[in-house]
Amino acid sequence: MASKLKKLVDDSKEGSGTELDLVDKGIVNILEIPGFASLKNLTKLVLAHNKISSVPPNIANFLNLEIIVLFNNIIEELPTTLSSLPKLKILNVGMNRLNSLPRGFGACPMLEVLDVTYNNLSENSLPANFFCLDTLRALYMGDNDFEHLPPEIGRLKNLQVLVLRENDLVELPKDMGELTRLRELHIQGNRLTVLPPEMGNLDLVGTKQVFKADGNPWVTPIADQFQVGISHVFDYIRSDTYKFLYGRHIAARADPPPKSVDKSKKISRIKK
Amino acid sequence: MSATAGPRRNLFNLQPLDATTPSPLFQRRRVAVGEETGHEANILHLEEDLSATMSLGNAVCQRCNDGFKMDEQIVNSSGLWHTYCFVCAQCFQPFPEGRFFEFEGRKYCEHDFCVLFAPSCGKCGEFISGRVIKAMNASWHPECFRCFCCAKILADEGFVKNQGRALCKDCNAMEKAKGLGKYFCFKCHSIIDGGHLKWKGEAYHPYHFNCHSCGIELKEDAREKDGELYCLRCHDKMGIPICGACRRPIEERVVHALGKTWHVEHFVCAKCEKPFLGTRHYEKKGLAYCEIHYHQLFGNICFVCNNIINGDVFSAFNKAWCVNHFACSICDKKMSQKTKFFEFDQKPVCKNCYDKFPGELKKRLKKAYDEAVKAGKI
Ligand SMILES: [Zn+2]
Ligand SMILES: [Zn+2]
Ligand SMILES: [Zn+2]
Ligand SMILES: [Zn+2]
Ligand SMILES: [Zn+2]
Ligand SMILES: [Zn+2]
Ligand SMILES: [Zn+2]
Ligand SMILES: [Zn+2]
Repeated sequence: MASKLKKLVDDSKEGSGTELDLVDKGIVNILEIPGFASLKNLTKLVLAHNKISSVPPNIANFLNLEIIVLFNNIIEELPTTLSSLPKLKILNVGMNRLNSLPRGFGACPMLEVLDVTYNNLSENSLPANFFCLDTLRALYMGDNDFEHLPPEIGRLKNLQVLVLRENDLVELPKDMGELTRLRELHIQGNRLTVLPPEMGNLDLVGTKQVFKADGNPWVTPIADQFQVGISHVFDYIRSDTYKFLYGRHIAARADPPPKSVDKSKKISRIKK
Repeated sequence: MSATAGPRRNLFNLQPLDATTPSPLFQRRRVAVGEETGHEANILHLEEDLSATMSLGNAVCQRCNDGFKMDEQIVNSSGLWHTYCFVCAQCFQPFPEGRFFEFEGRKYCEHDFCVLFAPSCGKCGEFISGRVIKAMNASWHPECFRCFCCAKILADEGFVKNQGRALCKDCNAMEKAKGLGKYFCFKCHSIIDGGHLKWKGEAYHPYHFNCHSCGIELKEDAREKDGELYCLRCHDKMGIPICGACRRPIEERVVHALGKTWHVEHFVCAKCEKPFLGTRHYEKKGLAYCEIHYHQLFGNICFVCNNIINGDVFSAFNKAWCVNHFACSICDKKMSQKTKFFEFDQKPVCKNCYDKFPGELKKRLKKAYDEAVKAGKI
């Protein structure tokens, strides 16, 4: 096994030495990849579908890293040093066992795409500075455990893609209305009953846009609009009638719908 | 024929200006001068005038009420005074050169009179003797009371109060025009209520001009060419290109694009409306776009490297990829247009990667897919 890996690393070195793809190689420990430390010029590191349980803090020594993919491993925690990578643009840590993101993570200076799909994250597991990531243009947080999206989401002004599919969201903050560059929003499979009228600011209707909202227990007037089409939903939430109903709905503080999905089978939950 | 120009001049409320108000100093001085003796008090010798003033033996000083000694010098000035009693009521000094000023029965030297009673000028701070302009809650030398804007002396023509400033009526009209967002005619000095005509940097009533070609009285849509003014009809006849955006003639540089002509500053990106100013533009369906917006709108920015795609474009899920970056979003395996891939949150996933998804996720994705098909969304 090790010799095979060594050959792959050597191949990479013979090439430009800037990209290393070790997908589905049974890797358990990044530090045991032979010759890994010598790949100082690495810009892309793809280690999807392995058995990696932790990321060494000295990953931060690879100052040229722009893309890191660790999809489908068993990582429970990321090192705080990650946010010091000066050129990191794309980080994919989807399908792991993350219960939190590291302290100070929001300091990543260049991060454009963050994929934390299919982990165990919630509003309580984000570092305080998370929403300082204003360079983000895509944020993938589907298959996690958010019940409330922090209102600071409105600070991610460059966001074009936001995926919140199949969380436990019971409401969305009015600050969503500030994400004016958003052209792709996935909120399907949550516990949402209403949309804040401020979301009427968003331009999510059209052939260049994506708005997925199925599988939510919408209040009847919204559900009715979804029947006729997304553009009707947005027209409706911009109306004064809706603003009035929304205000009353919020004031009534009804209990949110119960969780309907059993997530115990998720592989992000399984502990060995 | 009735005159039409009359009423325009009555737009202003001229403040009453009491130009004849004399200063108290002026008044007193006049009193003094009015007496035959001029400014100087008459000094008598008692013995000389004995015959003239029969009752002198009983006479008393106006100030101290004591009598006079024989052979004493006496001052005669509306009554008789000891010389040492004929002094300034303020400084108790004799009057220099005998000049004094009276106020409410007391006599003062010029200095103290000014200090106590003379008005001082609101501009230069000096005492005012002679004509006083009382205006704007202060007193002024006539030559110190001037228009705030043009410094014209206002003493004789009057003034208009405008936001705490004294203005001549022209300047006031101009300020008022500015305040109303209107222009002020450079020729007739009044507000232009309708449209104005710009001519050599100044605004005018259009009716002050006539077309250089046909002589018709001009309206606000008149145009300038080679230093002359023309009515719109004559101007158009001269074959001047019209801007495709503002529909007005183009007198400076002409941009030819999209089969039309444009003012340089009116040839703009259809999305951000910034003028191209000579930079490259991209055309699509009869509209022009800047580089950024062309690619943003027509999907030609690579989702991975975020750069504009110059060569082949791979598009899927409302996204685009450059040749180098069209790959499985998980394992980074390069894909071609023919490669079969799955959709996961609107990202491409190769079959290998999709097969590695846990069963429970695949089940959910399948269910969502089936429902979308059923609802006619796919
Ligand atoms: Zn003065
Ligand atoms: Zn003036
Ligand atoms: Zn005029
Ligand atoms: Zn003419
Ligand atoms: Zn124009
Ligand atoms: Zn533009
Ligand atoms: Zn690219
Ligand atoms: Zn793949």
